Amino acid sequence: MIKITDLEKYYRTEEVETIALNKLSIEVKEGEFVAVMGPSGCGKSTLLNILGLLDDPDGGSFVFNGIEVAGFNERKRADLRKKNIGFVFQSFNLIDELTVFENVELPLIYNNVKAADRKKRVEEVLDNLKIMHRRNHYPQQLSGGQQQRVAVARAVVNNPKLILADEPTGNLDSSNGNEVMQLLTELNEKGTTIVMVTHSEHDARYSHRIIRMLDGHSVTENILI
Amino acid sequence: MLQTFLKTALRNLLKNKKHALLNVLGLSVALAACIIVFLVIRYETSYDKHLKNYKNIYEVVTKDIDESGENYTVGIPFPAIKFLRQDFPQYQFAQIMVNYGGQVTARAEGQPVGKKFYERTGTFYAEPAAAKMFELKFLSGDEKVLDDVNSVALSQSTAEKYFGNWKDAVGKRINTDNAQYDLQVAAIFEDVPENSDFPFKIISSYKGFETHNEAGWPLDDWGANSSNHQIYMVIPPGANTATFEQYLTQFEKKYNKNNIDAKRTHFLQPLSNIHFDDRLSNNGQHITTKRSLYTLAFVGLLVILMACINFINLSTALAVTRSKEVGIRKVMGSSRTQLRVQVFFETALVVGSAACIALIISYIALPYVKNVFAAQGKLNLFTIDSLLFLLVITLVTIFLSGVYPAFIMGKFKPVEAIKNKINTSRVGSISLRRALVVLQFAFSQIFIIATVIAVSQMNFIRNADLGFTKEAILTIQMNADSVTRSRLNAFKDELLKRNDVKQVSFSFDAPSSQNSWASNFAFDKMEDKKFSVNLKMADENYIKTYDLKLAAGRFYNMSDTAREYVVNETLVKKCGFNNPKDALGKMLRLGGRRPMEVVGVVKDFKQQSLREAVLPIAIYPSKRWYQTAGIKLSTNNLVKSNTEIQQLWDKTFPEYVYQSSFLDDNINEYYQQEQRLSLMYKIYAALAIFISCLGLYGLISFMVVQKTKEVGIRKVLGASVQSIMYLFSKEFTVLIAIAFVLAAPAAWYLMHSWLKDFAYRIEIGAGVFAIAIAVSVIIAWITVGYKSLRAALANPVKSLRTE
Repeated sequence: MIKITDLEKYYRTEEVETIALNKLSIEVKEGEFVAVMGPSGCGKSTLLNILGLLDDPDGGSFVFNGIEVAGFNERKRADLRKKNIGFVFQSFNLIDELTVFENVELPLIYNNVKAADRKKRVEEVLDNLKIMHRRNHYPQQLSGGQQQRVAVARAVVNNPKLILADEPTGNLDSSNGNEVMQLLTELNEKGTTIVMVTHSEHDARYSHRIIRMLDGHSVTENILI
Repeated sequence: MLQTFLKTALRNLLKNKKHALLNVLGLSVALAACIIVFLVIRYETSYDKHLKNYKNIYEVVTKDIDESGENYTVGIPFPAIKFLRQDFPQYQFAQIMVNYGGQVTARAEGQPVGKKFYERTGTFYAEPAAAKMFELKFLSGDEKVLDDVNSVALSQSTAEKYFGNWKDAVGKRINTDNAQYDLQVAAIFEDVPENSDFPFKIISSYKGFETHNEAGWPLDDWGANSSNHQIYMVIPPGANTATFEQYLTQFEKKYNKNNIDAKRTHFLQPLSNIHFDDRLSNNGQHITTKRSLYTLAFVGLLVILMACINFINLSTALAVTRSKEVGIRKVMGSSRTQLRVQVFFETALVVGSAACIALIISYIALPYVKNVFAAQGKLNLFTIDSLLFLLVITLVTIFLSGVYPAFIMGKFKPVEAIKNKINTSRVGSISLRRALVVLQFAFSQIFIIATVIAVSQMNFIRNADLGFTKEAILTIQMNADSVTRSRLNAFKDELLKRNDVKQVSFSFDAPSSQNSWASNFAFDKMEDKKFSVNLKMADENYIKTYDLKLAAGRFYNMSDTAREYVVNETLVKKCGFNNPKDALGKMLRLGGRRPMEVVGVVKDFKQQSLREAVLPIAIYPSKRWYQTAGIKLSTNNLVKSNTEIQQLWDKTFPEYVYQSSFLDDNINEYYQQEQRLSLMYKIYAALAIFISCLGLYGLISFMVVQKTKEVGIRKVLGASVQSIMYLFSKEFTVLIAIAFVLAAPAAWYLMHSWLKDFAYRIEIGAGVFAIAIAVSVIIAWITVGYKSLRAALANPVKSLRTE
């Protein structure tokens, strides 16, 4: 599903050039659950942004679903992204002005799904994730765990092939954290590919494979299954 | 899609209530100002457009050139029309004689005394061709009645005023021309629209004017040229006006044997220009120059631009706080275009609601505007074209306000946006926002400077030394007929018996009036001067009643006809004498009359508005022409005196209507246009200041939020409240200073050219500019002060904890 080869990414300011990704090569197969670990500044988030088609690499190749996407313009990236990828963030990133229902509905709107279908699918997902009773609440009215559930609901509502999770439990206590990890595992078991960046060894153990990064390249891979 | 846009837009507006309010308020006021400007301009440009021949009607007008320069008048010598018709039989000509103000008596059957009315405007003598040319729609009779010297045509509302029902009016009799002229109502026509410079109300036959000619107008004389006598013509489309114009320049040379050096020529004034050309007068209520309409349009544009700038500044500032939302939307698959559409949608929502409020504001303001512009019926807000205009200006405003924020928001990088890494410095260039603020301040300073100058000029005019007294002088319009003349002395004696009457003088007009009567003349050596002299016919009390000052010699003695002359200093100087005394004893000849001695020289007084320079003047008694009574009062209750004097008048002149006014009011009327302009400057300056304050307040609130961390750190490091406040006010003060550098020369240039219209004017001093910058700095500090004080007093622990 994902095959990156010799991927490079630099950040430039006027005086300094920082290398974020240094000839990184990784492959993720369909149906896998991969955790990416490493110290702060090792390039984990940069990798996730590129995998999520939010950012463009400066060098190397990135084949997504058999298509070379490195060098795609923003419009093409956005198009590919909205059809295939769901995101879960550490800080939930729900829109404060929208209700739970409306937040989850958002990806469907951008995918031009008809209103009746949208309603059906959002309700289905909210039901599955047991937050149906909160559908008309605003994010500020929910607990952290509930907010992350909404975020997960939003990530899966469009049935993406790939879910990218950036420290999904970072802002949660351990019981809420475990619940979210359980949710991700269930999604993976149903066939969704998941790439998760995490600091937590505990969370990483939910995955099939851990990629450890340092200074922009992958150092080791632990296969857990 | 639109539904979610609407939802987010509404919730965003509610979340940022203050900013939304500032935007809506600024925009609605500006839009209302624009609609009103539009209505006024549309009204002013609509004059006489109801005429089908609008583009083909011309007035033949006059340009006199003498040593004092070019003088323009709508008048044309009486003999002219005969030759015009003879030389150009293919064109249609019509002449009219305007009757400036007079009494009309409507006589009911069987009653000896009729109802008395005073008609200030609308009384004309006209040829039937004029009624045709100006497309009068006859309800009864037709224009042919104007061939009959004993017939009169009335407008519908005039007939109703006199006789109750216009149908009853036909066949009744009225006396026009101050009751001198007995006429039978033979035709009724529909009222002329309000926006016409030809407000026909009472039209009688031009032939009748010629046969009666009670006032003794010199009908065969090329020398006399009164603005009352006008000639109009139709030149069909396709005909060459240039040939005719060429003919007009040579016209008097050919036919007027006295006009040897051709100092007087004629030219064509298109009907479409009559409402706008202030070189000439018109028969309507006012002239509005194209320049003042352009100024008005420009001002409207500036105000709307300022409101747009507010919007741009506030929404780009707010964009920062919305960066997370933008980021999430992008991650969820929104394209740039979708985001930009969303921003435009929100802008449309704000501007749209502002437009609705603007409609309400202008509806409320309209009666006042009607008052200021003396346009009663025609300023209608709810017409298709004014609503269409509102729609267009709203769309333009949406575009102007929305395009930049939309561009900025669309450009946000999702990764940065989602992590709140977008800050002010990334949202467009700061210098752009600063430039916009500078622009706004520059606009408001231009308005402030213009207002201060316009108001001081109007005060200058009000308090200027006119060379005579204008306060507490009651003027009464009289008839210059034998009946009146026979009772003048009795009326005067009765007046002087009153304690509150100090002086009474009968004259042609007051020292300053809108009448002017000029003549060719000779002084000392008996050949005609190359410039003309203005004539003032007055009795011997004129000097005391109006407090004219003598420069040399004495005023003439009591007489009913001219035996001696008094002249003004300007005449003496223009004739080459430096000392007024040298003019005494010299002979003066007016026109073709017998030369007589100059016995006195009066100091110059302003005989017209202060726009005009003082002209050479000769004053002499001529009882035949007295039609103004000037009564100098010494009382605190002018209204009471006026009422009592009216009773006296009604007793002395029962057949004549009492028509009085105070001299200072009459003089103020000269400056209607300027007063309107100065009022407009005041209003728009207030608007401009208000809108820029809104913008400033919005920006400072935003800056305070942005600088929370900086303020916190500075306070932890020991900064005082003053130094924090300085931090905030410093930037705006600098911006105001830059704005001033731009505004001062622009305002100076604008107002300098405005002042040039006045022969007597104030100098633009440094004080005006000092006021402008002081006002803007103070207003800016007040606006910024509260917010920055709050920021400075905030607990640094709180402001740092947000990090």
